Formats: sequence, C-alpha cells, structure tokens
Amino acid sequence: MTITRTESATQRPAVRSTLPAPKYPRVFGAGRGRIVQYGVFILLALFVLAPIVPILYQSFRDRPLYEAGGLLTPGNYTRLFTDAGFGQVILNTAIFAVGTTVLTLVIAIPMAVLVVRTKLPFGRLLGLSMQWPFFISTLILGFGWITLYGPAGFISVQVRQFLGFLPWNLYSLGGMAVTEAVGLAPIAYVFCANALRQSDASLESAARVCGAGPLRILFKVVVPMLRPPIVYSSILVFSMSLETLSVPLLYGTPVRIEVFSTFLYTNGLQSIQPDYGILGAASTLILAVTIGTVAIQAKVLKNAQRFISVRGKATRPRLLDLGKFKWVAAAAIVIYIVFGALLPILGLVFRSFTMIFTPLANPFNTLTLSNYDRVFTFPVYVQSITNSVVVAAVGAVLVSILALLAVLVARRSPFKFARSVEYLALIPQAMPGIIVGIGFFWVFALMPGGGLVQGTLVAVIIAFGLRSLPTAFGSIAPAIMQIGRELDDAARTSGADWFGTFFRILRTLLKPAFVGALILVFVTMMKEYSAALFLSSANTGVIGTTMLDLWVQGNTGSVAALATIQIAITAVFVAVANMFMKGHSDA
Amino acid sequence: MPEVHVSGLHKKFGDVTVLDNINFTIKEGEFFTLLGPSGCGKSTTLNSIAGLETPTSGSITVGGVPFVDTEKKLYMPTEERNLGMVFQSYALWPHMTVEQNLVMPLAIRKVSKEEKASRIHEALDTVGLAHLKDRFPHQLSGGQQQRVALARALVYSPSVLLLDEPLSNLDAKLREQSRAWLKRLQVELGITTVYVTHDQDEALSLSDRIAVMFEGKMTQIGTPAEIYEKPATAAVAAFVGSCNFFTGALEQISGGTAHVRLDNTGLVVKVASTLDLKPGDAVTVAVRPERLRITPSANAAGANVLETTVLTRSYVGSRYEYGLKLGSNVVQVVSPDGNLDGGVRLVFEPEDALLYAGASVPSAEAQELMTVAA
Repeated sequence: MTITRTESATQRPAVRSTLPAPKYPRVFGAGRGRIVQYGVFILLALFVLAPIVPILYQSFRDRPLYEAGGLLTPGNYTRLFTDAGFGQVILNTAIFAVGTTVLTLVIAIPMAVLVVRTKLPFGRLLGLSMQWPFFISTLILGFGWITLYGPAGFISVQVRQFLGFLPWNLYSLGGMAVTEAVGLAPIAYVFCANALRQSDASLESAARVCGAGPLRILFKVVVPMLRPPIVYSSILVFSMSLETLSVPLLYGTPVRIEVFSTFLYTNGLQSIQPDYGILGAASTLILAVTIGTVAIQAKVLKNAQRFISVRGKATRPRLLDLGKFKWVAAAAIVIYIVFGALLPILGLVFRSFTMIFTPLANPFNTLTLSNYDRVFTFPVYVQSITNSVVVAAVGAVLVSILALLAVLVARRSPFKFARSVEYLALIPQAMPGIIVGIGFFWVFALMPGGGLVQGTLVAVIIAFGLRSLPTAFGSIAPAIMQIGRELDDAARTSGADWFGTFFRILRTLLKPAFVGALILVFVTMMKEYSAALFLSSANTGVIGTTMLDLWVQGNTGSVAALATIQIAITAVFVAVANMFMKGHSDA
Repeated sequence: MPEVHVSGLHKKFGDVTVLDNINFTIKEGEFFTLLGPSGCGKSTTLNSIAGLETPTSGSITVGGVPFVDTEKKLYMPTEERNLGMVFQSYALWPHMTVEQNLVMPLAIRKVSKEEKASRIHEALDTVGLAHLKDRFPHQLSGGQQQRVALARALVYSPSVLLLDEPLSNLDAKLREQSRAWLKRLQVELGITTVYVTHDQDEALSLSDRIAVMFEGKMTQIGTPAEIYEKPATAAVAAFVGSCNFFTGALEQISGGTAHVRLDNTGLVVKVASTLDLKPGDAVTVAVRPERLRITPSANAAGANVLETTVLTRSYVGSRYEYGLKLGSNVVQVVSPDGNLDGGVRLVFEPEDALLYAGASVPSAEAQELMTVAA
C-alpha cells in the first residue's frame, strides 16, 4: 500500500480545531425524531383501531349504535349461534379455507422448486408468468372462470356436448377453492422461490459430493429447507381465504353456500332491515379468528428468519437436471398458467366484445362494442372508473408514505413501541375488507364531523388505505433490512439525528423500495372493492362495486367490459412504472 | 484531546448480562484497545461510548462532558457527542462519492464552503486518497474504503476516534501494513483513540494500553508488555499469545517459589509466585512456548528439567515449532534448532512460568486438542 501525498501535506498545519457538535432543538426534552415516532405510532393506532372499536361495541349492544339508550348484553352472540345458521357458515368457511390452502401449496411449491432449482425449458419465462395472476383481482378471475367453466360457460358447454355430462360443478365449495387457489398461488410461489434463491448453495453441493443424485437432492435437501416459507405462506393463504369475498359471493350466491364474508354481505347489505347486533358479533368472531392466524404467522415468521439465511457469497449451484421429466414439469406449469389464468382472462376480454358468448353460436358473428357503450353512456359507471384511478393514485402515495415512516420507526429507531408499530401496520392484513367497511361506516356515522367524510371518496381512500397498508409495509421492510445498520450509525456519529439520517442517507437508498411500494399499493387498491360496499354512495363507487351491480343485473357483457378496462389500466400503469424504474436504476 | 472516563457500566439484554461493571479511564491522546473474543462485550462498550447502545447503568464522561449518567438520568444522543467512528464494514454511504461522504458531517455542522473544501482536502490527504474524491465507494478497494471511512471520521476533528475492528475485513498482508500505517497516523494526529479488536497481534502492536475483556467483564488493563508478560488470569494468558497449561497440586510455597506436583507426570516443578495458597490447593502452571528450552543432552542444567519425547516438528519460517509429549499433555515449544528428535529434555526457570490458583484451563476444547494417550 503506497500512500501518495501532495506537496502541501508535508507542511500540514497543526491539528485543526474541533468543530462544535451539532445541537438539536427539543420539545419537552424530546427531539424531532421522537416526535415523529410518537406521531406515527398514534396515527397508526387510531387508523387501525378506529374500525375495530365500534364493531366490538356493537357486538355487545342490544340495538344499533345510532339508537340511544342501548344495553350491553351477550345476547347477540347467543342469537348468532342459535338461530342465524352460523354453524353451517363456520363449517363452509373451514372447508373452503383449508381446501384453498392445500390446493395453493400443491400448485406453488412444486413450481417454485422446478422453476428456481431445475433446468426447465423456458424456465425464466415460466417463472415470470407464474406471478402475473397476482395483478388480476380475484373478482375478475371469478368472472373469467364463470365465463369459461361455469354451468353455461364456454368450455363447460363444449365438454358437456362431448361427454354428455359436465364432470365438475364450479358453484360448489370445491370450485371456489380451486379458483381461489389459482389466484393465491403466486403469493406462496414468491415466498418459496425467494427462499430457494437465498438458500445456501453449498448445502446442495455437499449432497452432490456425497454422491446424491438430482432427485435425492431435491427431496432430501431442497424441499426440507422450504419448511419455513411453506408454513408461513400457508398461514397467509389461509387467512386470506378466510376474508375473501369475491369468489364465494359469485359462486355461492346462486346455490346458497355461505361463508364468513358472504354472511356479512347478505346480513349487512342485502337484508332490508339489517340486524346490526348479529353483524357486530359475527364480525368480532371473524376478526378474532383472522387476527389469531396473523399472530401465529408473525410468530412463525420471527422464527423463520432464523432459518432463511442470506449469504452474500453464495454461488449459484448448477441447476438440477431432471431429464425427460422436465418436459412434463414445463407442461404442468403451462397448463396452470393457460387454463388457470390466461384463458379465463382472455375469455372475459373476448366476452366484452361480443353480444353472446357461447360455443353454440360463432361469437365472431356477434362482435360488438355495445358493452362498452353501455358503460360509457351512464355517467355513474364512468365515474366509478375515474374514482378507482383517483383512489388508487392518491391512496398509493399516502399509504406508501405512511408505510415508509412505519418501517423506519419499527425497524430503525430506538422507539419504545417499535414492535407495536410493526404489529399495527400488519394487523389490517387480518381485517376482512367488508369488516373494515362496516367499521369505518360506523366510525363516520358516530364521529362528530364524520358526516363530511361519509360517502365521499375520502372515506373510500381511508378504508382501502388501511387494507393495503400491510402490503406497502411488507414491500418496504425487506429493503430496509438490506441496508446495513452501520450506515445509520455512521450518520448518527457524524452528527445527524434520527430524522436527519433518514433525509440525508436513507431517503435516496430507499427510493426504489418506495416506488416499488407505490406500484404495489396502486395495483392492490385498483383490485380492492369490498370495503367500498358499505362506504360508497351512488357517486363514489369503484370499478369493483359497479361490476358487482352489473353482475346482479345480469349485464355480464358490461361486467366483462369493465374488467377489461381495469386490467388495461393496471397493465398500462405497471408497464409505465417499470419503465420508469428501469430508467432510474441505470442512472 | 480529552480523557474518557467509563465507570460502573452495566448492560443487560433481558436476563443476559453483556457488560458487568466496566470501569476504565483513557488518557488524552492515548491509543486504548478493547481486546477479547467475540461476544465479550467489547463492541457493546464501544457502542455505549458512541451512544449507539444505551447502558443499563453507569456513566461515561468525555473531556469533562457527561455523555451518559444513568443516576442523573442523563443521556446525550449520538449525534451531539462529536465522536469520529470507523465501522467494521466501513459503512460508507454507497450512493455518495468519497467527497460527498465527507461533506455530510460538515454540512450538518454548517461549515462554510471554503472550510469544507480545505478540511476535505486535508482529511483525504492525510489518508493519501485526495486523488480519488470523485469515486464511489464501490469503485474503491477494501483498503481504500477503510481509509475513506477514516477520513470521514476525522474530517470534523472529533474529540475521540472510535475504531470497531477496522482492519478485520482486509486480507492478511494488507492488514499488517495498514496496522503500521494506522499507528503512524494516530501518533501524528495525537487523537484519543478507542480501538476494538479480537486480534491480539493488532492489540499488542497498536496500543498504548489494552483492556482485556471476557464475558462482559474487564479482566485486565495494562500496557501490551504487562498483558503479555504478566497476564492476570489463565484466560488472558491463553488469549494473548499462546501458552501451555498444566494442572497440578501445590506441594509447598515459600520465599516466592511454589512447588507444584503436575497431574500429567507426577513430577514436581518450581514456579515463581507470590500467590496466597496452601499446600494441597489445585493450581495451574502456564508457560509460553518461547520460554521453554529444549535440549537433547542428558545432563541439562536448570531449575525444572522434564523428560519428554518429540511428537511433531514443524518449520514455520524463522523457527521450529515442536509438539512434545509430557504425560498425556502435548507441550508446544519454539526453538531455533531443527534437529531434535526422540527423547529430549524440557528446561525452564521458575520465573519463566506463571502460576494461577485453581485447575483453570481456559478452554476445554483447546485442552482436549492438546491431549494424547499417556
């Protein structure tokens, strides 16, 4: 190591005087960092607890919240279990959730292993395609499946003609579980695939040196290492299928199969005189179950992080060669993508351009734009499209900022309640959209000045924002974990306070994660609708609620048209955002 | 250049005590090293001075300014302590050039533009990297990154320099040279420096004084020579340099010389000691390999002469390392003579050995590796 010095260095003056340490103003002994931390904590607590408290309160009250002079009683719970048919609902929900979870894993785990760890024809392309059903809302996926596989679906009719009978019944718990599993598989896939990518390659090399063949390595080394992401994603999928509304609503309503979410929907929205006590009690029970599962999940994840080890120097091992079997594997993945997501969506898009969509008549003869005409002639429908875009755009910015602050406080601050901030940000994941809707509806109804918000887009943004907060938090948190803590420490010792550290150092480093969260929240909020069922007025519907209205009216063509528009908006947004991201990461 | 006082420092994580009553004072301009195995609490101590960890109790004062005093509920945040710190991973901000990295602390202190430029030039000049100021950290070698980190810590002339294993990420050869360079720099600047390392060579060669820590406790504070020559415990002797340990029982002690019957051979050796022990007490005799002499001749003269056989001989450059069999123990000896074999005699004087109370071999695992069938 040679040290080159310029001339001036040889007669360097005596050691410089020490610069004074920076001083930061305090309010009641708390620096601005502490104030921000408390602010975030209190804001999150209000945000998350607001919809829960009135539900809890209502569940023990003998009359609606807005009627004065109520008594506290457990009567709602006894009525719920004795005469509301709730037992059957619980059973249905359990079957549906367990079925969905199992099917999701059956789809996701083998595919993750095949795509990430084996030589697969077109492996990269298949891996990317595996993830795209995530961008489609399950409501649209459900419409697509009905269009193809429903009792009068395009494919069902052809199969019935060919076989003389239809070997499946989409309008059943099984049909719901399959559809839901196709929609949720990308989530489990991403968890498993990431774990596989991060796992230490030398473990496999060690097995290979010991003389193990590809299949033995797969089953003795690779798959057992997947246990943590499997446990984690199965709990996640389980809790998501507990709260999902779309598929059970579309498939279950005609045949009167009720699960948790549809029970709330019919009792709260469709009945002429809703029994608010029952609604509150049922919501409370459901919340208890879903929050319970998320609590388990948090515990599992805490332990799981010990297993998933990221090693900087991990070398990519050779991919395992499965021989001829790889073609079978590739075909299986193609079948999932094509029949699970691609065909239903294409079918729906195609449906939007036809009068009637059935193999019995050549659909090309009935090509039309009238489905779109109908959407665009009614101002309310057009409004719902702009509403969706406004809600998603404004919400994405607000939620991402809140999530960023929450991540900073939870993961990068000495804040006393840092853990609580993290839990608060993640709890909404366990709050079914419809319950969030009911909760905020009551909040706005009871809160002084709430009338100004009730029924406006602000209410919708608040409710959707709460629902997508965990998504944003979850997408920023890993990014901050990759930024070494010493970078903060170095800034602190250099004289930056907690807040200055964020503004001077972390802000730039977190920009990609923040943009990533923006995109993700936008997509999530575009898909969201269940919380709006209670909160929207006539002028503040979103695409999802309008689609449901049109579906109930039997305007399936217009539903398909709206679905196509929503997919197009999402696709254009994601494409533009990705281009923007690419342009920036090159710089 | 201020003094650093640390007194009564405790740190607990839940039920685990990481720091147990740490006390020391660092003099002005001193190079003070916290040495110990990983997990001993040395980094926690350093981070407590920096304010990156909050001690459970105790006080820290630098240059008369109290940083922490748990009794008075006083805690000065890191950013107001005006310390310079170099991290093990260097912690250079990856999105900023070398110059921008150095500007940050100056910008926070609202330094004028001219002074910024001159201070940055001076700091980079000190570490010999003025020509690389427009590079990004990832465009620099590990050694250069380490020097930029040092320049960033020095650019605002902090009161105390804290170094957390700054050399441990360099390769062996560069590490040695960096060590010498760092020593020259510190002498030149005369800045009070607290250095954390687990590398005893670094500690011995760099420090004015060393504090050796084990399991959250400070075991010994002293100059490098004191630490090496007069280790306070068997653990210190084992950690700093290498050492042979023999357990035994005290036969008698008088006039500063103890007679110890060794467990491995049943022979009695004489060891200089002023410990207050009774005959029959269990003791441990420690001898550094370079203090032992080996001789082939049958009539070797010395206070302690032990019959041994050569197990292994390895050439390590300037000298030979021997493994000798003494009872069930393997004894490590260093000798310039490369021709010894078979039966040899091991000779040492009472002053060459150290005596510790109790049968305290520092590491059961190390002792196991040094045991053969008798």
